[in-house]
Amino acid sequence: MKTSRIIAILLLVMLPLTAMSQSGLYKKLAQRKGVSVAEVTGFRINDSVKIDVVLMTADDEATWQRLKKEYGITGTAGTTSWLGELEHPEQRARWEQKPVLRIIASHSRKAIGFYRIETDEQFDALIDYQMNAIKKK
Amino acid sequence: MDNQEFDRLWQMAGAKQTASRMAAEYPAWLAKRRRAMGMVAAALVVAMVSVPLLVPSTTKDYDHVYCNRSGGTDAQWAALAADLLMENA
Repeated sequence: MKTSRIIAILLLVMLPLTAMSQSGLYKKLAQRKGVSVAEVTGFRINDSVKIDVVLMTADDEATWQRLKKEYGITGTAGTTSWLGELEHPEQRARWEQKPVLRIIASHSRKAIGFYRIETDEQFDALIDYQMNAIKKK
Repeated sequence: MDNQEFDRLWQMAGAKQTASRMAAEYPAWLAKRRRAMGMVAAALVVAMVSVPLLVPSTTKDYDHVYCNRSGGTDAQWAALAADLLMENA
């Protein structure tokens, strides 16, 4: 068997494995036009807690306005945040020990971050992370 | 034919037989060697691709970044994830 065939077979095995580790939210948002989308897996919150984050930035003001309307984001400055459902991030949710998204929208950056929270530990670590950020300000 | 001449001819025949056997076996040996080298190369490629994907780095503050476009670097996206949290604090 030629080397190129072996490499091709291995890549065929490896690439689907890579795709499998992308979240459904990332795959869905990545199809949209006018936005850059990234998924940061294993984003370190502290020494023991990591979370997966999907980020979306609008290319222009018109796209940002459409996103604001779609996600029910009000205001024109600072940030807006809420807990959203995994499948429907625009729908507000409560933390009830089941996976949710902590969503933060920044008007100045025309960006939305979707932080996937699955455990109490992650929920608390995210709040601690922000509390420490306030102390540093 | 004396003994000395017989020995000389016998050795020549032996050498010819060895040479022809080597010539016949060389392509198979070469192919086997190529296959082995190919396997080693493939293993190296897989290791180079999979290790960064599967082994989380201890120096980065993230495991991996997927992006739908080229442009921002992995570190820039991770920084944005941190910046949004800071901005919202």
